[in-house]
Amino acid sequence: MNGFVQGDPMLCIGCRTCMIGCVVAHEGLRIFEIDPDGYDFHPRLKVVKTYNVSVPVQCKHCENPACMAVCKSGAISRIDGAVSIDRALCIGCKSCAEACPFGAVEMVTLGGVLNADGSPKATANKCDLCKDVPGGPTCLRVCPTAALRLVTQENMGETIRLKRLGALEAALSQES
Amino acid sequence: MTIKQIQSTCAYCGAGCQIMFTVDIEKNKILEAVPARGRTNDGALCLKGHYGWDYLNDPQILTKRLVKPMIRKGGKGSPLEEVEWPEAIAHVAGRLSEIKAKYGPDAIMGTGSARGSGNEANYVMQKFIRSAVGTNNVDHCARI
Amino acid sequence: MGVHEIEDAALLFVFGYHGAESHPIVARRIVRAKQKGAKIICVDPRRIETARIADMHLQLKGGSNLLLVNALANVILEEGLCDYDFIEKHANGFDEFKEVIKKYTPESVTAQTRVEAADIRKAARMYALSGRSMILYGMGVCQFGQAVDVVKGLANLAIMTGNFGRPSVGIGPVRGQNNVQGACDMGALPNVYPGYQSVTVPEVRAKFEKAWGVKLSDQPGFTLTMVPHQVLHETDPKKQVHAYYIMGEDPAQSDPDLAEVREALEKCDFVVLQDIYMNKTGQYADVILPATGWCEHDAVYSCCDRGFQKARKLVEPSGDVKTDWEIISLVSTAMGYPMSYKNTVEIWNEVIELCPGFAGATDEKIEKNVCVQWPCRSKEDHDKGTSFLHKDGKFAHPDGRAKFFATDWRPPLELENELYPLTLSTVREVGHYSVRTMTGNCRTLRNLEDEPGWIQMNPADCEVLGLAEGELVKVLSKRGYCITRCLPTGRVAKGAVYMTYQWWIGACNELTIGNFDPISKTPEYKYCACKVEKIEDQAWAEKHVREEYELIRGRMGIDMKEGRAA
Repeated sequence: MNGFVQGDPMLCIGCRTCMIGCVVAHEGLRIFEIDPDGYDFHPRLKVVKTYNVSVPVQCKHCENPACMAVCKSGAISRIDGAVSIDRALCIGCKSCAEACPFGAVEMVTLGGVLNADGSPKATANKCDLCKDVPGGPTCLRVCPTAALRLVTQENMGETIRLKRLGALEAALSQES
Repeated sequence: MTIKQIQSTCAYCGAGCQIMFTVDIEKNKILEAVPARGRTNDGALCLKGHYGWDYLNDPQILTKRLVKPMIRKGGKGSPLEEVEWPEAIAHVAGRLSEIKAKYGPDAIMGTGSARGSGNEANYVMQKFIRSAVGTNNVDHCARI
Repeated sequence: MGVHEIEDAALLFVFGYHGAESHPIVARRIVRAKQKGAKIICVDPRRIETARIADMHLQLKGGSNLLLVNALANVILEEGLCDYDFIEKHANGFDEFKEVIKKYTPESVTAQTRVEAADIRKAARMYALSGRSMILYGMGVCQFGQAVDVVKGLANLAIMTGNFGRPSVGIGPVRGQNNVQGACDMGALPNVYPGYQSVTVPEVRAKFEKAWGVKLSDQPGFTLTMVPHQVLHETDPKKQVHAYYIMGEDPAQSDPDLAEVREALEKCDFVVLQDIYMNKTGQYADVILPATGWCEHDAVYSCCDRGFQKARKLVEPSGDVKTDWEIISLVSTAMGYPMSYKNTVEIWNEVIELCPGFAGATDEKIEKNVCVQWPCRSKEDHDKGTSFLHKDGKFAHPDGRAKFFATDWRPPLELENELYPLTLSTVREVGHYSVRTMTGNCRTLRNLEDEPGWIQMNPADCEVLGLAEGELVKVLSKRGYCITRCLPTGRVAKGAVYMTYQWWIGACNELTIGNFDPISKTPEYKYCACKVEKIEDQAWAEKHVREEYELIRGRMGIDMKEGRAA
């Protein structure tokens, strides 16, 4: 089963440290040495705020991904338990962004990469679980309130077990 | 090997977080900042603590880093001209002394700083205003 | 009390304090308190992050703080929830206090606070009965024309319920800037020497005169917020300000009513700016003295809970710059009062010798323990400092007792009206610090939020004006205007709008009012009347913002070569 990063709105304070951490992890520490406009700032998760909720939204790395199913260019694949986009293969058709039921895929333009006609290349962008980053997902490492966690097959089993017990107790207490 | 780990205190809010910096001494550059276990921050940092040291690289985004004393030699509204330190110090001391002689010490106001300067600089500033100028007109942006 | 104590409170009463925006690492303690089972009551006109996780959110109308605080006290009195034993042993003035408070029934304040009487009663009971209630407050209390009275009102609540002098109780002002506590500790205040020793007490003055070898003034000085008035409007020639030596601040961006600040800086005979980056004040300075910044010099900072900690020199500064204390020492010496410190440790040793409350916080002790919270009076190793004040109910008044202090509410100075129907309050942006000369020059923080910032508005107010998210709007008050982007959000109430103060084009301090608390002289940043206007030609507005931004950056010394547009 694929893992995914999940935010807890009761712990999130909406500070967006995760969004910067994501960019720094993917662009590398070199960004602190280059022209300030020489890199792309495209966080692969987004903090969403409503009246009662603040929480980052990112890819759930579905087992049967809608984005992958609609991709016509073979740019989306499952690599080491992460649904990933190959930017070189992406043709920017936006089907994946439309297909994702969570709004976890967005289209971004890349500053340094051009199409054949000289226009900036657009590509789909989403969480890749920091598959190439030592230490795993950066967002949950930098979060100041530990509001993010990596959900895996193992800890998901434990969560479900606890939920079953909780539901049972709630039902029993209603009866008594 | 010129890479060093040095612990310091964040300058971005009153929480007083402890940061472990990785510094390349030879290149005179900070490479990375990660949380240290301070009493108040207990191993966590926010976005400013993690990424707020970049201004030291003077990336020329918003404003220019000041690197040389400057004086408006032609008076108010004239351009700032770069000068050497002795000239700048003599000019400031001279003008403050003139104003003190003409209007008295209470015509001069000085500020400390609630930001990066630190306690020692604030101590020296208020001592200067109180002892060298001779007034209690010293304050800082606590009210702001 | 200390930041580390927050998570062990049984109840947190968070009043006018948005930790998530101003101190995320303190907000984390609030979150952890919740995880550990603490009850949370949040008093704030906005649905801030703390309000989301709180057990109660009292969404009061801005400007009604003291009404609510007095009504909470009223309930605690009427329902007999006081800690009478604590009051009798440790406090004075209870009877006079009761006289003032008795008319503030919950029902009498409901209309103005917009908080239901039943909720006020419930909150008062929860606060009084938790056993370990801690109050945290911020600028939502301090930045009003009536501020000190509210702080005293909050202290009343803690005294009458015995929530003082133990771990995880008390009242905590969570101070904004990294070293605002330190600047106060060091006597960068017009009425006290270092260590909060009054300039008007003859024995204290004599001590400092002896140490510094010079006669000192016995008159308290001006506050920073009084400077525009003292330059522009003061008629007594003895009280006019003619020279302004500014270290590490940017009043032309951060102070209220910027048009007046600019006029004062222009008219002031001599303005010195000592700073690390060019800023708006620098545009008016007669002299610029370049200093070292954070990470370029050694220093002790005082964090919000009185903790001395070290900031270290990590890199050599480039450019012909000096540390702040070296520059001031040179000027002082040139004026005939020689100062020649070799390093910061030498200065620190002088500080602690003169301040009994800091005497034990030696350089070695701070080095060894990382953090020392004052008071720390003994140099011996066993004195590691003080986590919470008023231990065992001992207070700073000469008789060691706390004092109840009740006052009547008064409204903010400039109320909403027909011409300016909205109320403006200035707030914080989490990724930017102060006037943003530091964070605005950090690549990724700039990416996250940049000009011209946002105005938070209730969707109903947006609908009336036909405004959509991201649209550029003009915001006006009696004093000026600015342009910013509209952010519709149900987290703010109808009729109230909020802006952050670090933007040049979206400069909300063009609008704010120079009304001050009579004691603290803090400006009423949290309340003035304004209006929002729709801009029909959005393409023009976008171009205007872009061009203005480039123009100002050019003035700030940025080389505006092609491709470096904002």
